[in-house]
Amino acid sequence: MTRSIRLVGVSKTKNGNKILDNVTLTIPSGEFFALLGPSGCGKTTLLRLIAGLESVDAGKIYLGEVDITHMPVHKRKINIVFQNYALFPHLDVYDNIAYSLSITGMHEDEIDRRVFKLLKAFHLDKLVDKKPSELSGGQQQRVAIARAIINEPEVLLLDEPLAALDYKLREKMLIELIELQDKLLTTFVYVTHDQFEALTVADHMCIMDPEGGIAQFGTPKQIYEFPDSTFVAKFVGNTNLFHGRLGKKGDATLFHASDLGTFTVECTPQKLELIESDNAIMSIRPEKIFISKKSVENFSNTLKGIVNSIVYTGRSTLYEVLLKNGKKIQVFEQNEEHFPQVNIDYDDEVFLSWQKENVVMLKE
Amino acid sequence: MMEQEVVLSPGSSAPALPRFSGVQRFLKLEFLSALGLLPFIWQSLFFFIPMLLLFSMSFIDNSSGTLRFTISHFTQLFSTTYLSIILNSVGLSLLTTLITLCIAFPFSFISIFHFSKYKNIISLFLLIPFWTNFILHIYAWFFVLEKNGFLNQVLMHFGFITEPLAFLNNFFSIMVMMIYYYLPFMILPIYSTLERFDSSIFEASMDLGANRFQTLLKVVIPLCIGGIRTGIFLVFIPSFAEFLIPELMGGDKYFFMGNVISLYMFEEKTLGTAVAFTTLSLAVVLMIVYFIQKGLVLFTRRLTRGVRT
Repeated sequence: MTRSIRLVGVSKTKNGNKILDNVTLTIPSGEFFALLGPSGCGKTTLLRLIAGLESVDAGKIYLGEVDITHMPVHKRKINIVFQNYALFPHLDVYDNIAYSLSITGMHEDEIDRRVFKLLKAFHLDKLVDKKPSELSGGQQQRVAIARAIINEPEVLLLDEPLAALDYKLREKMLIELIELQDKLLTTFVYVTHDQFEALTVADHMCIMDPEGGIAQFGTPKQIYEFPDSTFVAKFVGNTNLFHGRLGKKGDATLFHASDLGTFTVECTPQKLELIESDNAIMSIRPEKIFISKKSVENFSNTLKGIVNSIVYTGRSTLYEVLLKNGKKIQVFEQNEEHFPQVNIDYDDEVFLSWQKENVVMLKE
Repeated sequence: MMEQEVVLSPGSSAPALPRFSGVQRFLKLEFLSALGLLPFIWQSLFFFIPMLLLFSMSFIDNSSGTLRFTISHFTQLFSTTYLSIILNSVGLSLLTTLITLCIAFPFSFISIFHFSKYKNIISLFLLIPFWTNFILHIYAWFFVLEKNGFLNQVLMHFGFITEPLAFLNNFFSIMVMMIYYYLPFMILPIYSTLERFDSSIFEASMDLGANRFQTLLKVVIPLCIGGIRTGIFLVFIPSFAEFLIPELMGGDKYFFMGNVISLYMFEEKTLGTAVAFTTLSLAVVLMIVYFIQKGLVLFTRRLTRGVRT
């Protein structure tokens, strides 16, 4: 059984600092949910409040329809995987995993059956009697997750679980986590400051701002393609921001960037109303821009510039292009061919083109 | 703790030892192993040899001016008087150990996990008593416990008693001083063991469904059992041979092993009897230490007993 989590107006102050400010959030049942935010934005505190390790100053927490705001931690069917794993150093792998079952006084044969089933699934069956200190980081991680899911919690909380692992292992564990969630269908809440991890795992995600509030809620695609604010646009992925003002010319919406020229953009009427036309920001992702040495037809907007730097990373190349107003913008190209038709080099004059649909207009 | 196992792939041989020149070899190997001998030599000169010499004296009778072998020093010990002194000593030190443990464990836990901000100040206060002479502490306690002392004054001021109570020169004053003196020896090892653990381990236990009491039994106590054992031995062994506190606080009424040894050693000048008694007390201590050790191992195993049979 799995249930949703609902936070209503949750606030938390620690040592006089407001950590969480009136957070209202619904974590959908049975989903892989990611909570993304910069360091120190209170996301770990939010997780600890859900787990019951800390108590709220104001607001309510619901598990399904049940108010769990004041339920003690050991009664909540919510388990947490700590950032440092917090394995019991005096117990071996088996006893660590069996811990929650042995507390309930379950029959030994049943515990045995469940633990070994999980040990096999997690490829830990050869390490049954090893102590945590004898395990590698990846193995400790697996034990921590196995320990947290064996008593079938309704929600599993993961506090930056991959932060201590190296890059390759992290990618592998991410996929394992997604598969695990698909199999269990337990609500997973995954806290991270790494946007790549969050975008990879999440069905829905939520961005927290540095002041301890919710900046945006949505699917990874919604958040990446249609950020609500410059904070989200900059925090998730890279983007190029232009300041200017919005105008109308017939049916078309125009954006006048100071000393760069005028661009056609697309903007919904609702959004248009929200943005103060005099202080608008245009955001365009580096990969949405096409770079070429010759002017190309069929694009809504084109801009000229000089190549300032080239970062070749194998599968893609990142160009930094100097515009005539002295601003630098980033352009990201996939390296699709061994030998591209035209080689772009340092100090080349290039045309940057993009479609108006790929632009996001934001409020200052 | 088990040693980490190094897994070598099949067919791979152990890496060859690097070759050293003669001087390097001497510096790296012989010199280092020679250094290892130093503590052994030190121990032999200043501990083992004096102990052996002392021990041999318990078999020597020089009352007639010539040295003769004898076991009379030991046989005279097997009397009810000495037996009751031994039992008293065991009782005193076990009681001291038990009470200090009951104070030290909650004290360490609460001060580390609830008052972690004041950690340095607490450590300082634990160490301050070691900066001044022990005799001074005893005199300080005299002022507290004597007939017109602080404790009686306070109790009378608040109307708990009308007549001053006799706190000094009895078993109560001995126990107060014993606990006061030995408490830091119990707290320090437990405190420093608990300090090493992140509180997330205890949170994990609660999160997995254990209440406070179950967490205490299954996680907290097993984790600091090493510190508890060190504390028990640091208090039990020296308090067994304690003679200054019973002598100064007990008003000549209470005799423990330490007092008997000091009596034979310094008053009666019968070295043989004193050493025989020391040997006997050593045997008793070793026996009890062995049982405590066994008991602790069993206790931990029982607490953390896995579900596997």
